[in-house]
Amino acid sequence: MIEFRNVTKLYPNGCIGLQNATFKIEKGEFVFIVGPSGSGKSTLLKLMLREEVPTEGEVYVNEFSIHDMPRREVPYLRRGLGIVFQDFRLLPNKTVYENVAFAMQIVEAQPKDIRRQVPVALALVGLSKKAKVYPNQLSGGEQQRVALARAIVNNPSVLLADEPTGNLDPETSWEIMNLLDEINQRGTTVVVATHEKSIVDQMKKRVFNIERGIIVRDVQEGNYSNED
Amino acid sequence: MKIRTMKYMVKEGFINTQRNLLMSLASVSMVIASLLIFGLFLMLIINFSYNLNRLKAQMEIVVFLEPDVTQLEADSIELKIKNDERVLAYVKKTKEQAYAELLQIYLEDAEILEGLSPDFLSPSFTVHLKNVDDSAAFTEEISKLQGVEDVSYPYESLKKLSTVLNWINAGSMVVLTLLLVISVSIIANTIKLTVYARRREIEIMKYVGASDWFIRWPFIIEGAIIGFAGALTSFILTSYLYNSLESYVNSHTLEYGISDLIKLVPLGNVSGQIFIIYAIIGMVMGSVGSVISVRKHLNV
Repeated sequence: MIEFRNVTKLYPNGCIGLQNATFKIEKGEFVFIVGPSGSGKSTLLKLMLREEVPTEGEVYVNEFSIHDMPRREVPYLRRGLGIVFQDFRLLPNKTVYENVAFAMQIVEAQPKDIRRQVPVALALVGLSKKAKVYPNQLSGGEQQRVALARAIVNNPSVLLADEPTGNLDPETSWEIMNLLDEINQRGTTVVVATHEKSIVDQMKKRVFNIERGIIVRDVQEGNYSNED
Repeated sequence: MKIRTMKYMVKEGFINTQRNLLMSLASVSMVIASLLIFGLFLMLIINFSYNLNRLKAQMEIVVFLEPDVTQLEADSIELKIKNDERVLAYVKKTKEQAYAELLQIYLEDAEILEGLSPDFLSPSFTVHLKNVDDSAAFTEEISKLQGVEDVSYPYESLKKLSTVLNWINAGSMVVLTLLLVISVSIIANTIKLTVYARRREIEIMKYVGASDWFIRWPFIIEGAIIGFAGALTSFILTSYLYNSLESYVNSHTLEYGISDLIKLVPLGNVSGQIFIIYAIIGMVMGSVGSVISVRKHLNV
């Protein structure tokens, strides 16, 4: 569950990140956040994972109150979140398997759980056969699938994706979006910031439109925009 | 923290140290340089205070009685000295003994003593105290007694020596602090390179939910390894240099017949403490340097 109540984010340089946003995303929902570059999509996601703190208003993610949360609790918030970025952010000197296992190691998971869950996550994204390969030997789509496996291996209740298909060709983008949909079918709340008009239009999910920091539209089973 | 995690961190610390071997070596030599200079001051202080204390222990207080002191007064003074808890031992010297001593000294120039009889001399007590620090108080009390002419105690010169020692102490503290600050910042810069090389990894760790300490520990261990390596090397160097100095000084003081006056502390007496001090300073320098250099990258 994610809830924003009258949230405003102003950056120190005077930029408006988000203005008076109020919404609620229930558990198990799939939400697209769309809007032009610099409109505030990333700010929204950064507030959810507490990379940024709201200037005004209240943000709730799972059982955490982001707006008045001590720094030392941030790791525990993030252990309940899976995060995927446009540029994959894999560790080049670790294999696919190690990259995914790494996410479990640093939350001090049991070795036997690691051995059990990493293959499951890799199978889900269809990379079981490439477990021993290094990231630079993979295509962009495959790298993003490794990042997805890493994001879900700790069974987070929320998956946040910031332009996950931004560096991928349309076909591969669909693969990633379908994977996100599949992860969502398994009960994970998924929030995706994206520019992919055609995908958003076809997937018929809940859509937030952001313009200049304001959520101007919030529709269920929506299109990328109102125009058509 | 779980044992498995600790293993992981120690392993990472060692891997990092090796990965930046050249920079690690640069940091180690920095630690060595500062510890060697520190060691110089440390050994100076140790030897100064060692010799000062030896000197103090050799100091004796001589209580001279008036030449015409009565037997009763002399006995009461002796009783007072005898029963004083601060006194370790004392030797009584009568007028006659003092005269005999003088005769011994001026055996060849006996004419100097012409016309001098034991009656002109003062009986005296030579006193050794258990604790030299009581000297001033003891001297003052005794000199007030009836029949005491003078109490000789070279505590003015001791005081001066102590002042010199205090100045050396303070001076080396200042030098040491400066050295520590410089070394810590150099080590911090070295480890900053490791941290910079691994900033993506740190960022990912932060996003996946690693705690700050989980990220910090491997770097702290890296710093401690560097510090310890530096401490060990400088301890070996210090021991070697000090041993050569010790044998040189001891042979020369023997030659000049002042081996009783000046004596270097034997290394064996202090090597344990020196090693521990070096190790602590080195490892603290290393880990503080690490903490400083990682700090900036943790704010994701």
